[in-house]
Amino acid sequence: METLGNLAFGLGVALTWQNLIYCFVGCFLGTLVGVLPGIGPVATVAMLLPFTFNLGPAPALIMLAGIYYGAQYGGSTTAILVNIPGESSSVVTTLDGHQMARNGRAGPALGIAAIGSFIAGCIATLVVAYFAPPLAEVALKFGPAEYFSLMVFGLIAAVVLARGSVLKAIAMVCFGILLGLVGTDVNSGTIRFGFGAPELTDGIGFVALAMAFFGITDVVANLEHTDKADVYRERIGSVLPSLHDLRTCFWSIARGTALGSILGILPGGGALLASFAAYMFEKKIAKPPRSFGEGDIRGVAAPESANNAGAQTSFIPMLTLGIPSNPTMALMIGALMIQGIAPGPQVMTERPELFWGLVASMWVGNLMLLVLNLPLIGLWVKLLAVPYRLLYPAIFVFCCIGVFTVDNKIFDIYVLAALSAVAYVLLKLDCEPAPLILGFILGPMMEEQMRRAMMINFGDVTIFLTRPLSAAFLIAAAILMLLIALPSLRAKREVALQE
Amino acid sequence: MKIRSPKDFWAGLFFVTIALGFIGLSYQYGMGNMHRMGPALFPTLVGVLLAGLGLLIALRAFAVDGQPVPPFHARPIIISLVAISLFGLALAHGGLIAAVAVLVIISAAASRESKVLETVALIAALIAFSVAVFVWLLGLPIPLWPEA
Repeated sequence: METLGNLAFGLGVALTWQNLIYCFVGCFLGTLVGVLPGIGPVATVAMLLPFTFNLGPAPALIMLAGIYYGAQYGGSTTAILVNIPGESSSVVTTLDGHQMARNGRAGPALGIAAIGSFIAGCIATLVVAYFAPPLAEVALKFGPAEYFSLMVFGLIAAVVLARGSVLKAIAMVCFGILLGLVGTDVNSGTIRFGFGAPELTDGIGFVALAMAFFGITDVVANLEHTDKADVYRERIGSVLPSLHDLRTCFWSIARGTALGSILGILPGGGALLASFAAYMFEKKIAKPPRSFGEGDIRGVAAPESANNAGAQTSFIPMLTLGIPSNPTMALMIGALMIQGIAPGPQVMTERPELFWGLVASMWVGNLMLLVLNLPLIGLWVKLLAVPYRLLYPAIFVFCCIGVFTVDNKIFDIYVLAALSAVAYVLLKLDCEPAPLILGFILGPMMEEQMRRAMMINFGDVTIFLTRPLSAAFLIAAAILMLLIALPSLRAKREVALQE
Repeated sequence: MKIRSPKDFWAGLFFVTIALGFIGLSYQYGMGNMHRMGPALFPTLVGVLLAGLGLLIALRAFAVDGQPVPPFHARPIIISLVAISLFGLALAHGGLIAAVAVLVIISAAASRESKVLETVALIAALIAFSVAVFVWLLGLPIPLWPEA
């Protein structure tokens, strides 16, 4: 009952005119940028970050959340119509979605994606409302040792559940941590790794880092491949799926939502893993199974519901523990810190309007997306026709202005250029950028928690293993590492992520 | 000994270099002890871990087959980096309008498909958009013209 009261309070926050407008603008801009091929949600959120600087924390967070699921939805549109996943979580949508478009059923594919996302979003909002508060309460009791171990566990889990080589991913986490430590050490006041540059006393700009790894390098990679996209040019027709479609999809949406909600909470899970898992699951249990990959509407409904549910529940660890489970959440934490709010379990009790306003706005945002997308499909389709040669200079402009406006420092633009060079080399060496971003955000927090733990316990390192909860986190992390090292499981993971 | 997975080998080497760099730089800060951790302690710990991982990744490249490093296309990356850096320079001395123009002109050269007239139109559109949205609508403090 208390939860419902809180939700009503949140709705009160989200339904003020001002916040409604920011939510709408966020959804609209998010979809707009998300539709453009070759720009994922991380780059979208990073690029649109400057739009939120002058707002208060609650409207800023509401708008960013709107941008995030707008970008998700925009990505699906691109996946269905152009066969280019706008972002990694809509990769599976291309399989059946684009086939549906080729069979002349682009309309219903887009429609079911919107409807599935909306249903999933509504349910996931409730999941967040019910699960986040108890988790935050537990987290409030954590000491520094527990926090440190939890962050270790979060990072390891994020790495294991992501794509690519685990060793390289952990190395990227370490590299991220080290980059995060650049700047003034809060304890001693020593400026570390500053190379004498006064601009580096505040550390490396987070927005510059995110833009370099997810904006600039993506553009450069796209410029290197000049393969032509297969754009859908016919009329979309009605976007409303038939009653028969809805009946076929009902359980797919339900299953997708359930899987997505669970996987979203896991570190590293989020939307990507959720959509893959939901598609695989649907394919396994579907009767008749043969039509998957040839334009089966269930192959669109399930992953689209799952990725939206996962996108939303991935807010739970961010809001309750202050720990990002994916790069987008890392950006959200960065945005909170720019607003002067230290992320963590205290946010919910100290700034209830922020937490409940955001939760309620998720629901409002989903409704807006549904209302916005079905009639505006025509506009999005036109955007797809914009050639890349006109698009990428615009991306550069927004990235550069965005990086500059964080602190009004020209220096940050040079940092952007330097980090882009590093990001390019790492891209060529097949090192995933997501773990680096997570390490960058968590690095300073880990150092602080470890330092506190050591301070309280007179430098006794065994404290991490003698406190039961802390030990549990570390053991869980170790088990995950061992599991991934087992050849049979590794093969399975590779297959699952390949498909 | 033959490198069987060049991508991994170079990635490992990259990580080792980075790690050694950070460990070396940490040396000048106070190490402290485990009870009172100095500013050098944590970066050194992480650096050692990174160096170990890098070494492992590089050595593994001799044992396990992997992919070659894909070719580097010099044109897009170098032009992009130059364009971004010059944007910074132009913004510092010439204001936003000049900076956007510089960034778009140079970055257009990164693609072989760019056309002159289109680029001119794009510059005009992007200047109009960034001035209208960032400076007027959002009120961000960005100088438009060279400061006298």
